[in-house]
Amino acid sequence: MTISAATATTADAAGSSGRRKWRDSGTAAIAYWLILPLLVLEGVFLVYAIIRGIGASVEGPDGSFNLDNYRQMLADPDFWRIMGRTLVFTVIVDVIILAAGLAVALLMNWQFRGRAAVRGLLTIPWAIPEVPVAITFIFMIDPTFGVFNLLARLLPGVTENPQWTLDPTLAMAIVILVTVWKGFPFYSLVLLSALQAVPEELYEAARLDGAGRLRQFFHITLPGIRPSIALLAVLAFIYSMQQFTLIWLITGGGPVDATMTLAPAIYMQAFRFYNFSYASAMAVVGLAFAAIATLAFIAVQRRLNNEPT
Amino acid sequence: MSATTLDHATAARAAADRTAAIGAILRAGLILIVCLLVLFPVYWMTLNAIQPGSISLTWPPALLPRGFEWSNFARLFDDKPIGEWLLKSSYVAAVVVIVTLIVVIPAAYAMSRLRWHGRYLLGLFLLFTQIMPGAMIVAPELTLFRAFGWTDNLTMLALLHAAMVVPLCTWILKASFDAIPRELVEAGLVDGCNHWQTLLWVVLPLTRPGLVAVSVVAFFFSWNEYLFSSALITRSGLYTGSLGLATLITQLDTPLFVLMAAGVVFSVLPILFYLAIQRHILRGLTAGAVKG
Repeated sequence: MTISAATATTADAAGSSGRRKWRDSGTAAIAYWLILPLLVLEGVFLVYAIIRGIGASVEGPDGSFNLDNYRQMLADPDFWRIMGRTLVFTVIVDVIILAAGLAVALLMNWQFRGRAAVRGLLTIPWAIPEVPVAITFIFMIDPTFGVFNLLARLLPGVTENPQWTLDPTLAMAIVILVTVWKGFPFYSLVLLSALQAVPEELYEAARLDGAGRLRQFFHITLPGIRPSIALLAVLAFIYSMQQFTLIWLITGGGPVDATMTLAPAIYMQAFRFYNFSYASAMAVVGLAFAAIATLAFIAVQRRLNNEPT
Repeated sequence: MSATTLDHATAARAAADRTAAIGAILRAGLILIVCLLVLFPVYWMTLNAIQPGSISLTWPPALLPRGFEWSNFARLFDDKPIGEWLLKSSYVAAVVVIVTLIVVIPAAYAMSRLRWHGRYLLGLFLLFTQIMPGAMIVAPELTLFRAFGWTDNLTMLALLHAAMVVPLCTWILKASFDAIPRELVEAGLVDGCNHWQTLLWVVLPLTRPGLVAVSVVAFFFSWNEYLFSSALITRSGLYTGSLGLATLITQLDTPLFVLMAAGVVFSVLPILFYLAIQRHILRGLTAGAVKG
């Protein structure tokens, strides 16, 4: 291995000429050997399950092909309520998580002593597993001892501790809050690196032109990080759509289905009511949304790559 | 005349200094408040794990610690098999990390450096599986596990975890392979290395942040995962941390401080892990998530 010294200089040259992707056209065969382990693992554990799930959704009780599950699902007002709730949940989480992510990213972007420590601390929620997060918030909203009641009591007219998980609106608000709290650090970190990629000269030019902080933010910062925000909006949609554990452990989808989004609803059908084929039909709807999200993600990323920066 | 302009200048500078100082104080205050708000649940979990249960169960709750009771942790380990659960979680996570690395390293190399038919299609598939909500396939997964007798088998659960986290990890590692200048790889091939050797001696040593990020993402995913574990592991003797803790929630006889202590114990490892290498994660993740 004598290449390291020889290539050190070429590495510098390549760095200045920008990074082009390098591909070897003559060795396609080795590529298939390289991806073989991945194909086996994904084939057995994911592809099989996806196909199996789609199959189950179009299977009648006697094993014949029919679309009864879909007919039943589309005619069921409960299904549409679940979809509506999922939409509300994902949109609200999406907006708040991006806003909170951006606010914290701006804060972490300031120059101050102990910045690295603050960045570490502010992103801790991301590192805590979901089950302990659920346990902690369950205690915090306990109607008898929960610390959230102190906050609620500060509001005018609140003299009793609220029943957090028995009130539909409060339950939804709590589930949204916990989902955002657990997830926002990722968005902050990605936005932070986007903020740091905005060229400093733009700010200097704006300052010379006499633009204030707010104008700098709206005319330089926001346009500069807009591509990252677009990408993160898609990721946040996916993240909130996938959310199962926090909802399941904190409210169980209740009260009376008030927080039952698609993911817990499918689980409920499959593992509480044992309607595997009906659950599969609902899962196919989720898969369709995932496919749309995939296309959206690709479209956003493609526009991002074509955009001159 | 000249003296008065000088006075004006010093006065203006003093005023500017004062606004700067006020700005710095406001800024520090804001940072402090945001940190307090964000970290309050972590503080609350820790506080109620280390103070006597009688203090936790009072109204109104005391915001500051009033006493310490380290024996909460002793009781946790005596009364609940949390040591066992943590061992099971560690085993599953270790298998997930190893399998993920074995699968992802060659695949990311092929995705990043080689041209072959189906490359784009595989990329699409990886993106799709990463986006697909887990709840969509939990029922068919159970059917599969039952058909082969894999239920209540932690190694098979680990392989499933690996299969679920491999798509994201492939993207992350592909991005860091993409960043390696082509001349380095070319030189390796010219020097007579084959693709395996180039990968091993040229590419891998240059992508340590990417490898660290992939290992941590795989570890986090597995340590965190609850949905599939709860569907595929039913024997309480095989419970991982996630499963064990979740059952504590439903067992009404579990004292609160034991719950909180369990939460703290289960979170310590990922948090320390995260803080130790957050710089690597940031670099590796952002390489996968944003371009340019």
